Amino acid sequence: MGNRVAIVGIGQTYHKSARKDVNQQEMVGEAVRAALADAQMKAKDVEAVFTSNMETFEGLFLPDHLMADEIAAYMKPGLKVATGGTSGASVVEEGFHFVASGLFDTALVIGFEKQDTGDTTAAITAAVTPVWGKGVATGAIGEFAKQALTYMERSGAKEEHAAMVRLKADKGACRNPYAHLKLGLKSIKEVLDSGYLVWPLRLLDFCPQSCGACALILASESRAKKITKKPVWIADVVTVHQEPFRAGSFGDPTGTEEYSQDIAAERLYKRNGITNPMKDICMAEIYEPSNWEEMSHYEHYHFCEKGEGWKLVEKGITEMEGAFPVNPSGGVIATNPIGGTPTIRVAEAALQVRGDAGEHQVTRDVHTAVATALGGPNWTVMTLLRRSL
Amino acid sequence: MAELTADRVERLKDADVFIYHGKIYIPASYTAGAVGSRFLIEMRDNKKIMGTRCVACDLVYVPARSVCKHCFAQLDKWVEVSDRGTLQTYTVAGQANGVQPVDPPIIYGVVLLDGASTGLVHMISGVDFEKLAVGMRVKAVFAEKRVGSILDIKYFAPL
Amino acid sequence: MTTEKTAEKKPEYLKVEIARPRSYKWSSGKYLGKLYKEALEKKKLVTNRCPKCKQLMWPPMAVCGRCNVATGEDWVEMSDTGTVVQYTYLVFPLWDPHYGDRLANPYPTATIKLDNGVFLVHFLEEKDPEKLKKVKRVQAVWKEEGRGRGLADILCFRTIEE
Repeated sequence: MGNRVAIVGIGQTYHKSARKDVNQQEMVGEAVRAALADAQMKAKDVEAVFTSNMETFEGLFLPDHLMADEIAAYMKPGLKVATGGTSGASVVEEGFHFVASGLFDTALVIGFEKQDTGDTTAAITAAVTPVWGKGVATGAIGEFAKQALTYMERSGAKEEHAAMVRLKADKGACRNPYAHLKLGLKSIKEVLDSGYLVWPLRLLDFCPQSCGACALILASESRAKKITKKPVWIADVVTVHQEPFRAGSFGDPTGTEEYSQDIAAERLYKRNGITNPMKDICMAEIYEPSNWEEMSHYEHYHFCEKGEGWKLVEKGITEMEGAFPVNPSGGVIATNPIGGTPTIRVAEAALQVRGDAGEHQVTRDVHTAVATALGGPNWTVMTLLRRSL
Repeated sequence: MAELTADRVERLKDADVFIYHGKIYIPASYTAGAVGSRFLIEMRDNKKIMGTRCVACDLVYVPARSVCKHCFAQLDKWVEVSDRGTLQTYTVAGQANGVQPVDPPIIYGVVLLDGASTGLVHMISGVDFEKLAVGMRVKAVFAEKRVGSILDIKYFAPL
Repeated sequence: MTTEKTAEKKPEYLKVEIARPRSYKWSSGKYLGKLYKEALEKKKLVTNRCPKCKQLMWPPMAVCGRCNVATGEDWVEMSDTGTVVQYTYLVFPLWDPHYGDRLANPYPTATIKLDNGVFLVHFLEEKDPEKLKKVKRVQAVWKEEGRGRGLADILCFRTIEE
């Protein structure tokens, strides 16, 4: 293992469908200034800057070339990373590796997406093998629709359970000042009454397209202790790739094969002495593009047995006040600036560890938290955070 | 829009390999933001070229931008700069491509406007390429119909 | 952190459209090329097999990711019949970049497990939402004139009774 690395600054923008008042780099700059303010650092205190988004989703190429000034990166080293849906977690991992290696003492990592300028579904549809052409013209949402059907059949979960997940998310989002969709839902009936978008996914079953950015400042152990009294330590990051096209066109989607989520969870838990994730970890911020996906992921991350994810929801275990809160921030289903989405998962988990999540701080004490990301051909990134190492 | 898939499948002669020729169209746009919008709107409505000043670094950014790259300060002091300036460097594009605003040959130049600290990239016209020289004085020629675009300056012409 | 400011009067913000259709050329490579050739000439689906674990590659490819070995030319003909394991259909039209328009695809898309055990995504001929729930066994309906576009040389999958 390398040197210890802590999160010492956390910043994010508010989220909306459209941000005409800023260009892309100005929007990202808002998150950077927020993170610097949180760490009480100046731009010159940051040694390297790493960025991530999915540029085809916004239709603006080489965004990192336009934004060095606004993100405190002028004349500094850094890279942009794009790994699909996991981009914003990969950039945290990238900064973690660089600081752990000892090359830098401080690094700024940023995930962002300004989705009012492009068409994400069209870009994902275009990213498939051209020869399938119109064959898979449903972007990511069609895949998650089919996976919802499989989850229903495999686990016995009902539409009501998916609606409960949405209700839980909305409760969190309404308390989170940075969340995008704050619907104020009162009952699962409102979710079940929303029309189908891509059957069997309803409008309220799926994540929105958001504009926003999230920035974290990472620091080495010696520097971290000078910057903050409440460093949040990155205990470990695990990335697992799956076969090409796994979540798209070719792999077994029925859950009989190994999933990258299972492998990532096993690896992370084994490396960090976690024998009972539900006890050893206090809460999770997971990447759930749909409410169905959240229940399925409970199982793949070993929070429960296979086929029982919906029971955690039914029992309220993953509520903000529950024994194992999941996505008290409102999650992806409320806020989804794609490149920023996994960075927000890490940021929100870190806020919970610090005890600084405000109105959406969970009831139980959080000394250990996990953040996950899901992307492209079923990649998984898991980030484990601890209050002390 | 009509179907884009005027696609064609080419089969290599000496191998079982297929080359698929196609087109992709994904909607995309760019939000100028508050600072960029004001810069464009001043040109459109008032034929004024505006910059933002960093007082600490004594720099005027043209086109106007929101952050000083040197000191990371947020810039909110607007200044009008001259529509005249000095040609710092130039080149000529002879080949046509799909994104050029006018037909080639096009002379592209970097113009340092009087009162600005940064050069503005634009087209130079109304002069023979052979007669161009670094240091030449030029003046903005505004388009009659202006829409809120950098092309509201039609080109820069020699004084 | 930042929170949204509510502006007193709404200033004018400009947005510049920058999109245009982009041309591309995409090569099947020789492994997918073999699949396309067999589909075009014989209306058959083929794939290759890993020499080590003997599992079917799908789609055909040069390297087995599980074993990290070059796969080679051990070709297997596959059935064009299979079982529907997942399906969905668009209710809300989505932008299709290959057409440059917002389209609701008329056909449901499905993940089909072919009888050789591999999975592929394709269209179902059946469009009735109620009847879809009962669709299990399907067979490929090949286009009369294939064009060398691999699975796109198949029109859709039709329900079969067995």
